[in-house]
Amino acid sequence: MSTTAWLTTLQFAGVNALFALAIYASLWTGVLSLAPVFFGAVSAFTFGYLAGAIGLSPALGLLLGVALGAALGAATAGLIIRLDSHYLAMATIAMVLIGRVLVLNLTEYTGGASGTLVPGDLGTWVWLIGTLVVAGYVMSRLAGSRFGLAADAVREDPAVAQTLAISPRQIQFVGFILSGALGGAAGVFQSSFLQYIGPDTFYTHLGFVTLAAVVLGGAFHWAGPIVGAIAFTILPELLREPMGEYDRVVTGVALVLIIIYMPRGLVDVRRLRLLRDRTRRRPGDRREDVTPAGAPAGAEASS
Amino acid sequence: MTATDSESRGVQTAPVAVDISHLTKTFGGLAAVDDVTISVPERRIHGILGPNGAGKTTVLNMVSGFVSADAGRIDVFGEDVTRMKPFQIARRGVARTYQNIRLFPGMTVLETVIAGAYLQRSSTILGAILLSPAERRERREMRDRAAELLEKVGVRADHGTLAETLSYGDQRRVEIARALATNPRVLLLDEPTAGMNDVESEAVGLLLRELRDLGLTLILIEHNMRLVEEFCESVSVMNSGAVLAQGEPTWCLEQDDVKEAYFGKRSDAARIATLRRARRGPGGA
Repeated sequence: MSTTAWLTTLQFAGVNALFALAIYASLWTGVLSLAPVFFGAVSAFTFGYLAGAIGLSPALGLLLGVALGAALGAATAGLIIRLDSHYLAMATIAMVLIGRVLVLNLTEYTGGASGTLVPGDLGTWVWLIGTLVVAGYVMSRLAGSRFGLAADAVREDPAVAQTLAISPRQIQFVGFILSGALGGAAGVFQSSFLQYIGPDTFYTHLGFVTLAAVVLGGAFHWAGPIVGAIAFTILPELLREPMGEYDRVVTGVALVLIIIYMPRGLVDVRRLRLLRDRTRRRPGDRREDVTPAGAPAGAEASS
Repeated sequence: MTATDSESRGVQTAPVAVDISHLTKTFGGLAAVDDVTISVPERRIHGILGPNGAGKTTVLNMVSGFVSADAGRIDVFGEDVTRMKPFQIARRGVARTYQNIRLFPGMTVLETVIAGAYLQRSSTILGAILLSPAERRERREMRDRAAELLEKVGVRADHGTLAETLSYGDQRRVEIARALATNPRVLLLDEPTAGMNDVESEAVGLLLRELRDLGLTLILIEHNMRLVEEFCESVSVMNSGAVLAQGEPTWCLEQDDVKEAYFGKRSDAARIATLRRARRGPGGA
């Protein structure tokens, strides 16, 4: 692969990392959502339209994308957060489908089926790396905060989280806003790198690829989506030359193997903590008592 | 026998913390809880006893909002919480532990307890991102308080250890510490000494007494009769969804209906003894 091809691949890996972080932000609170693709589409088309119509500056375009995404995240949460888990996921997939219909029909603003051109001012390393660093910093600061621990609790066991006075819907609402802001930023970058966006730019394919990146990298730590997106974007490119048209098969098999053998992804803090605990425990150490067999954390129903 | 006022013993007059009246819950036609009325005064250690399937956990699930009641009413410190969601009930000072331990996978011991202090924290998302002095102070205070609670309940393991890898007894203690971190006024404990030896159970009993002295009201489901008799000031004995007896532990455990619920009918016992003798044959001892 040429240096230019490598740089382009890495740039898209960075954009995918932002989308993956957006999906992670809602998964962190126990909600599977592909809505970031929709948030990205709205921000990208708005940026493209305003840049052409009033000459919106790149910095303002990015800020607008973040704000618009966050506002859309809040509005979406207000509408669909009451749905149960899989219905909620389906509603967000429906949003992506609706987004394509809107792009096709709002021809005056989106260019319809022909799409529209977008200025490439934000398509530079400085902007991308800067935004990724800020996003990573924000997520790392939130981990361990009041919101972060509550989000962990809601994801792992929403019923128990409630008995700790945590309202799962409030936490998921914040998760959607974060997801919207990150998705909005990712959409603006995607459009700026491509310099052309159309009805298929922000469609289900993008959602599933970034979701796969989150699964691959790990959905239990903010670094997981970044690692997963970089690996998932670069791997097919590396395989394309030796494997030809079978590169996607190999990528798919790799994903399945990771799901089977590393169900919590490449970045698995729990596994690292378990390893650390094992190495700390001296060989002579003995547990005082043991967990009775077949006593899983399940519903209380025995009496 | 049904639990009526005339059958209750040892109930002292004190402000009521948890008032359960005529509570009913059916699962697919089976009455798991049938017209149960229990009143627990403030600063009391109250036990709910009964054989498996008696409906004890269902009562606790309804008080904490895990399960909605079909009929009846639950008041906590005079406020009707019957239709409230679990987090609303928790915000009114009710915390609980579980029969099957439910710790958060992947969390360390310290994180587990700090997660319980959600309501005690006031930091904002912006404060967390900017790592404001208030955020840093709060994080420090939370770590100190969690460490205090873990010491109080007797967890000696490294606080950085994954909570799920602790011994069964320690996991129970971490669950109690997590519940205490919510700063509750009422603590519901579902078999808090299950899997513990006598010494550990005694330590839990002493902890319950200490918490009671600090002003908490404790309602516990327990099968360890020695612990119940030593530490509970009142009990409700349940069987098949109904309350058989309420009052002082010793008096309740003396009642014929209670003995029958635990050990079967006298006629059953006589029949079993006859069968045993017959099985041993004429030469049997």
